[in-house]
Order: sequence, then C-alpha cells, then structure tokens
Amino acid sequence: MSQSEPPGGVFGLSYDGETRVIEALKLISTAIIVLVGAWPIYWMTQLAFTEYEAVEDSVTAFPTPDIFTLGNFTVLTQPEMYTYMFNTVVVAIGTIVTVVLVSLLAGYGLARLEFPQKENFARILLVGYLFSPIVIGIPLYQIWQNIGLLGTRFGLIIALSAISMPFAVWLMWKYIMTIPEAHEEAAWVDGASRWRGFRDVIIPQCRPAIIAAALFAFALAWNDFTFAQILLPQTDTTTFAPGILRAMGQAQFLPDAYLMAISLAMTLPPLLFAYFMQSYLLKGFQVRAL
Amino acid sequence: MASETGESIRPGRAYIPWDDLPVKRETVAGIGTVLPVIVLYVLIAVLPIAFAFWASLHEIHTLNPEWQWAGLANYREVLNISTFWGSLWRGIVYMVGSTLLQLGVGLWMALVLNRITRGQKLLTAVVFTAYLIPTIIVSLVALRVFDPLGGVFQMMGAEWFGLWGAQTAPLGSRDWAMRLLILIGTWKFAVFVTIFTLAQLRAIPDRFYEAAKVCGANRWQMFRDITLPRLMGIVLVVVLLRSVFMFNKFDIIWQLTEGGPGNATTTLPVLAYKTVYTDQAYGLANAISVVMFLFLLASAIIYFKLFNPSEEVETTT
Repeated sequence: MSQSEPPGGVFGLSYDGETRVIEALKLISTAIIVLVGAWPIYWMTQLAFTEYEAVEDSVTAFPTPDIFTLGNFTVLTQPEMYTYMFNTVVVAIGTIVTVVLVSLLAGYGLARLEFPQKENFARILLVGYLFSPIVIGIPLYQIWQNIGLLGTRFGLIIALSAISMPFAVWLMWKYIMTIPEAHEEAAWVDGASRWRGFRDVIIPQCRPAIIAAALFAFALAWNDFTFAQILLPQTDTTTFAPGILRAMGQAQFLPDAYLMAISLAMTLPPLLFAYFMQSYLLKGFQVRAL
Repeated sequence: MASETGESIRPGRAYIPWDDLPVKRETVAGIGTVLPVIVLYVLIAVLPIAFAFWASLHEIHTLNPEWQWAGLANYREVLNISTFWGSLWRGIVYMVGSTLLQLGVGLWMALVLNRITRGQKLLTAVVFTAYLIPTIIVSLVALRVFDPLGGVFQMMGAEWFGLWGAQTAPLGSRDWAMRLLILIGTWKFAVFVTIFTLAQLRAIPDRFYEAAKVCGANRWQMFRDITLPRLMGIVLVVVLLRSVFMFNKFDIIWQLTEGGPGNATTTLPVLAYKTVYTDQAYGLANAISVVMFLFLLASAIIYFKLFNPSEEVETTT
C-alpha cells in the first residue's frame, strides 16, 4: 500500500521526516536518562577504588593503576560500621517479615470475606500514603520512651511496617482477587478448613505478590532515615543512615573515599534487586498501589 | 494442628454457637484478618497525632519531660516567631520547585520509556535504581561532588561556568543551597512520577492512535488529543502526592545542609526537628507537627475528592 500523501507533520515536516526526528529525540533522551541515572553510581564506584589522598586533593575520573586501591574497604571492618550495617539488615528483615504476614492476612480477608465497613477500611488504608515520618516521629519519640521501645530495633520495625501497609495490603488484596475462588472451594469440598485453604491454596499462588511486597518493604526499610534518626538515638543501636551521618561529624579519620566504599557496599543489595527482580517490581507498580 | 490428616477440624473444635450469636462467623473472621493493620495504624498514626495535640498544649523540655499546662501559648508562639513564617515560605518554595521539576522530568522519562523499542530493560533498571537507592547514599555522593576539595561538580561550576568561587562550597552558600537541594531531590524522586504515569500510558489502547493516524492527525495532535487528556487525572494525583511528600521532606535536607547556611534551607520539618533537639522545646515542636498535620489533612481531603477510593474498591469486587 503506497501512500503518496502522508499526513502533514509538525513544522511542515512530512510524516516520515517527523518519524526520523522523533526517533532521534528518543535516542538522545534515552542516552541522557541512562547517563544521568547511572552517573552517580559510576562516580561512587570509581571513588571507592581510588586512594583516599587522591580523592581529597584532586578530581579523578577513573582509578588508574597508580592510584587504584582496595584499602578503602577496610572501613567495613570497623566495629561501629559493622554495627550500623548489621542493625540495618535486622530492621529490613524484621520489616519484611511483619509486612508480608500482616498484609497477606488482611489481603485475604478483604478479598474473600464479607464484613461491615470494608469500604471504609479501604479508604482509611489509603490515608496511609500521607503518613509523614517527621510528623509522626516527633510524638512517637515520647510515646516509645514511655513504653520502653525507644532505642530498640523492634520499635523502628513497627513504625516502618505501618508505613509500608497501604501499599502491601492493596497489592495482596488485588492479587488474591485474581486467584479463582474455585481453587479454594475444591479444597473445602475435600474437607479443608478455611485456614487450611488459605495456607495450602492461596499462599503458594501468592508467591509473586509476596516477593513484590517484600521488595517494597525492603526498599522502605533500607532507605529510612527520619524514623531511625528520631527513634534510635543511641549510637550503638542505630542503623546505617543516621549512624554514618553521626560518624561523619564525630570520627577523627573518615576520608570521603571510605564513605564511598561503604556506600557502595550498602548500594549493592538494592542494585542487584533492581536488575534481577525487575518483573516483580513491575508487578507491584502495575496495581497502582503506590 | 488437627488439620494434619486433611480431616475437617470443625467437629473437633470447642463448640461455638454461631447461630445464636448476634454476629456472623464470617464477620468475626473478616475483622480478625484486618485487625493487625488497624492496630498498627492506631499505634503509628492515631496515637501519635492525638499525643501531639495534647503535648502541644503543654510546656515541655525534651530531656526532662515534666509537663506544664500552657494552653494555646505554644500556638501563639508558633505563629509569632519569625522562623515559622520564614520556614513555611521556604517550604512552599521547595515544594513547588521540586514538584514542578519532578513532574517535568518524570513525564519526559515516562513518554520516552513508553515509546522506546531498544534498551528498555536497561532504562527500566536505571529508573528502579533511583527508586531503590537509599537517600543517604545520594546525599553522600552529592556532598562529595560538591565539596570544594576535589568535588567534580564544584570544580566544573567554578572553573567552567563561573557559577561560584573556587573555594566556596555550593551547598553552604545562600544562593545555591536551595536550588541544589531541589535538583538533587529530583534525581531521586522524579521516578515516582514516571512510575505512576507510565502505568496510565500503557493502558491507552493502540487503536486510538491508529484511528487518529488514519484520520490524518500528526504526532502533536495525537499527543494533545489522546495522550494528554488520558494523563490529566493521574497527573493531578501525582502532583498532590509529590507536593505533600516534598512539603514534609526531612531526610535529604537534613543530610545535605542541616537547614543551613543560617536558615536558608530550613523548612517546617527541619524547624520542628531543630525545635526538639536544639531548642529542647518539645511542646512547641509538637505544635509545629500539628500545623503540618493539618496541612496533610487538607491534602487528604482533596486527595479523596480527586481519587475516589470507593470507585477503586468497586472495580475490584
């Protein structure tokens, strides 16, 4: 089919000319986005492998052999850095477990059971998007102090779990809606209880949603600064983000190259997730629950 | 567990006379499933807000929590101190600047991602990286590259573009601190806009564009008459959410400038934090928290007007 008169384009360009311009713009845009997006990570990585004297004195774009070193990574063995990272990992795991358990249960209830005020519950759930760590953290400081949760990782896990709830519950709810109820009915006919059906029929099929919810809970816990700064005031129990900031103010010897090395170590888990778990992340975003 | 054998556990259980009770068994089970969420919400949202209201009516020293009734004195003080109005104004500047920039960059990335054919996986990975990378890492890298000693952006700004002197730290200068905060925040947070709008873009059926093409529309007309109207709803929601988030943003500001130099980047969250820990005035800080909460509440009401959740619920049942 030959179209001798293609539709007129913008700026008097022919349709084909317009296509070429758009293609070129797309290519340039992609290049800019990839460069700007990846640049800070490249810069951090190359500085982490450069000797710290060179980092302090001049601008270096690549760790050439004469300034290349692995020595910056000795910072990871410093006891307080190790504590910060360990605490971050504990808080992340605690948050993931709490979020997955609570949201699975609530998602199942919302999808399969009838109870009054269900719609209002969904409404309240969405208010959770507007929780702000600083508004909640300041009063929470005294509340946690009064009931003895201040400075404990458990107190931080509770706060972070509540913040992750709206997304996780919404995700589970919508995902369980897509599982045919007939699967469960088949189990009931064979004499399974509701709990048994939930455990052996629903949970195995929810694997993608569980992984997505876990990933988002991980991102939240790994990223958190405000709650940890307020709720974990003692240096020895705090997590990485407030800990490293305090160490920068107090440590006698903490060159920037060391900071870049420990930053790289803390960036690796999320980077690996971003590359290898893209499909689960996309699934999470698709339910528009963010 | 009695269910190990696959036998029904109901006959074995203690008998509960569900038929005689005023509530149905399903209701109890349903409420039971959402109870943990409700407990978490009460503990983390309702209780702190109520506590903040109560505490804001008292004179409290942060480290010596002896409460003295002060009535509305804290609110009078909040509205009278010059730092409050200054912080509110800077917060609005930060909020509007960040939201507009993030919206522009985020929409652009979404449009590119939606139409691209090659390198999609790489681009998606870059977008997710910005989403997953902790704010503190972004701040540490930013502090490094804007450092007068060997920071590459500081060097480029000073020597190539002459934006600042060779020895000045841009993050510590009154002229640049706020602008740089907005720019650095955009690197991390623009992807939220992309993620929201991309889902909506993907949902527009191709046949709309095919029909427009047959009718002789050019790309700009297709964008204006098909893409844009479809995006408007989600863009409103995104603008509202981003505004609220940026207005309440504490972490990246504190990490990069601690509200300085002077008060040049002190927004309301930073002011509240400083009031707790620097001025040790816990009651006053709670009054500021309550003011911020009222802003959140107003936003929540608008949010529900824009994005009707019950509609959302109906589509799922």
